[in-house]
Amino acid sequence: MNCSSFDLKAYSLGEAASAERREVETHLAGCADCRRETERLGLTRSALLTLREEEPPRRIGFVSDKVFEPRWYERFWQSGPRLGFASAALLSCAILVHAFVRTEAPVTPAGAGLSAAQVESIVDAELSKRLDTAVRQAVARTEAEQQKKAAELVAAAEQRLRLEHRAEMLSVQETFEVLRKRMNVLYVASAESRVAQ
Amino acid sequence: MIFREVEDRDLVGKARRGDVDAYNTLVSRWDRRVFNYILRLVRNREDAMDLSQEVFLKAYQNLGKLDDPGRFAPWLFRIAHNESFSLLRRQRPDGEELKETASPPSGPHLLPVETSLAVAAALERLSPEQREAVVLKIYQGFKFDEMAEILDCPVSTIKSRLYTALDLLKDTLAPVQLRGAQ
Repeated sequence: MNCSSFDLKAYSLGEAASAERREVETHLAGCADCRRETERLGLTRSALLTLREEEPPRRIGFVSDKVFEPRWYERFWQSGPRLGFASAALLSCAILVHAFVRTEAPVTPAGAGLSAAQVESIVDAELSKRLDTAVRQAVARTEAEQQKKAAELVAAAEQRLRLEHRAEMLSVQETFEVLRKRMNVLYVASAESRVAQ
Repeated sequence: MIFREVEDRDLVGKARRGDVDAYNTLVSRWDRRVFNYILRLVRNREDAMDLSQEVFLKAYQNLGKLDDPGRFAPWLFRIAHNESFSLLRRQRPDGEELKETASPPSGPHLLPVETSLAVAAALERLSPEQREAVVLKIYQGFKFDEMAEILDCPVSTIKSRLYTALDLLKDTLAPVQLRGAQ
């Protein structure tokens, strides 16, 4: 078998099967070129691994976080069956109230009391007014919360930018320091060589 | 690794039954690796953060479509791959342009920070596909068959991309690492 029949990269990456690994190792024992190539692959791998993993700048949002939860009125309006059930419940209440009012009310001359249709329309109007008010309040509250959250996000982004800028400056300083030290070494070396001459 | 797979499978099963905490555990377990994988592809921290968030949300929404709960990691990285390349295509619709990057530092001895700079510069020179193959193998430790599953292509294609990338990297980085070790 010649050298090209051995997959040295698969061997170096730990992907060779045990039989294949043994064959490569036997070959490496007698082939200096392949040994050098395997060594270079190992050096490449270890150089790549000097690049550290980074921490995510912030936590990934969990699906249970509040930001992913629909608001109560969103859930309410988006749920057809719930809306139907709520409408039916409201209608039942209206009928019950109407029936109660009718049985408890004293007998009055014809035309003096409210008719069933009038009571129903009053109840409907009151319910619709209250529902509108509740929805308006909820929307206003949500908008206020969103504005607050947006302001917090902007502040966090600014803080992050400041930190990144500081980190970049430190990195530049570090690189500059390395260059300065090299210059010093070169300067000392040249001075020494001049003295030696 | 086998123990970890069993755990992932178990957590996926629980999450599918509506256990949100189980999914949160999966997020905590994989967020750093997914973030770093995407970061090495898109090379922008904010984009990587946004895409990571999108990946975990999409994974949660599509958890029911995962055929084998034991293959959660390759499936998750498949989503991350799609999201990253979708962004790269939007940013560079006419294909990747070759970027001029800094040459690796020269000199008799190298500091660790210089080796890291050389590695970053060498990775920049690779095509996105080659870089992704290196990231999945070297940094994420996936096997060839898992990489094929993530990238949805044959193992032969994976090997071709990775081996070409290693040949390019080897010429630059092996001497650098040798100097750094001296």
